[in-house]
Amino acid sequence: MHMSKTSTVNIQIVTGDTRPIFKQIVDGVRMEIAHGNLATGAKLPSVRGLAMQLMINANTVAKAYADLTAQGLVEARQGLGLFVSEPRQLLSDDEQEKRLKTAVEAFVNDVAYLEFSEAEILARIANALTKLGNGSAKPHEEN
Amino acid sequence: MVQHCIETNGLTKRFGKKTALKDFTLAVERGGIHAIVGSNGAGKSTLFRILLGMATPTSGSAKLLGEDSQNLSAQTRGRAGYVNEEHTLPLWMKAREVTSFQKSFYPLWNQEIYNSVIGYFDVDPEQKVAGLSRGERAGLNLSMALAQAPDLLVLDEPTLGLDVVAKQSFLEALMFTETDGNTTIIYCSHQMEEIERVADELIIMEKGTLQNNSSPEAFVERISYWIGDFVNGLPVSDKIPGYLSAKKIDGQHHIMVADQGADFGQHLKNIGAETVSQSSVNLERAINAFLTKNHNSPDSRV
Repeated sequence: MHMSKTSTVNIQIVTGDTRPIFKQIVDGVRMEIAHGNLATGAKLPSVRGLAMQLMINANTVAKAYADLTAQGLVEARQGLGLFVSEPRQLLSDDEQEKRLKTAVEAFVNDVAYLEFSEAEILARIANALTKLGNGSAKPHEEN
Repeated sequence: MVQHCIETNGLTKRFGKKTALKDFTLAVERGGIHAIVGSNGAGKSTLFRILLGMATPTSGSAKLLGEDSQNLSAQTRGRAGYVNEEHTLPLWMKAREVTSFQKSFYPLWNQEIYNSVIGYFDVDPEQKVAGLSRGERAGLNLSMALAQAPDLLVLDEPTLGLDVVAKQSFLEALMFTETDGNTTIIYCSHQMEEIERVADELIIMEKGTLQNNSSPEAFVERISYWIGDFVNGLPVSDKIPGYLSAKKIDGQHHIMVADQGADFGQHLKNIGAETVSQSSVNLERAINAFLTKNHNSPDSRV
């Protein structure tokens, strides 16, 4: 059996946010996977363990895990726990397009008033994407 | 197996001219932590008194663990626990004496649970109750309540007046003690942060009526927050479906409504808004919007 040791999930939750706590956990785990802090095959903390870490009701963690499982980001192995899945395309092309568009709009809106040249901004983005490594953004593929 | 641990039907309770509960119908499913929120005087205490058979309804019915509250058997009564914020205990007894006294009444007493819960608190068994801090008394009460392995445990503002450390111990003990998992917890609190952390379900009471019984997320989704430019003033509230509250800030009206769809923005335009935008709400704002219904700021109609 490989990678049966539980990985540390470094996420924070806050109360008073407009996102419910279970959604904050879903987003947090997704970011951990995207940044490569949780690699494919990594074992997530137990429901009770993460609940104790975050000081929240275990049912809330269970709900977040169910959501992550439904999204295909993690998968349950009988009796062993929850593991990060092999990366695969989870969203439809239309949905990917929509999300990228929203993200680009928000980004452009944020940087529009800053005094950086277009080239500088593009270089920064390229750099950040390289740092993501094998995460969600893939290098351009030749046809 | 009974489906609901609490079930009321058209429950009404009047004290003279005052109506404490008005046609109150509620079904609480077994398992999990159900938070009850309501302003003072919303009818929570009256509800529990009726449920536990300590008061009689004016009309309607109430069932506790499947049994009519007006006719509770000693056995059913023994399966329901109640802890309030006073954490009253006999002051002259030592902590261990209180525990063994309590233990003698409960055949299902689970010493393992008791030990595990009391482990979160620093209670010296030889200490007299009078010498315990409020947090230690709360811990002793919670330990005894959970050790009775009740089917239903009502906690009425249990962390009121506790310091940060005691409050955290209390919540951890409540959420993370390994019990047999059959205890349904009713958690009354005004503290939104606690509710967000502990509650599976959110019950909202207002003026003796039931306003919500769903998960906290589903409740927040019921509430929407709109900002509109009403140059000729805000129309009367009965023209605004689901109206909860309105405030005028920097010349714009900020309006909270319940149960309205995305077409509500168009409706605001139809009744005079020149521009409309939408903002998001968190649990606390959503709950407060409900509890302060019809309490407008003085200038909201201008």
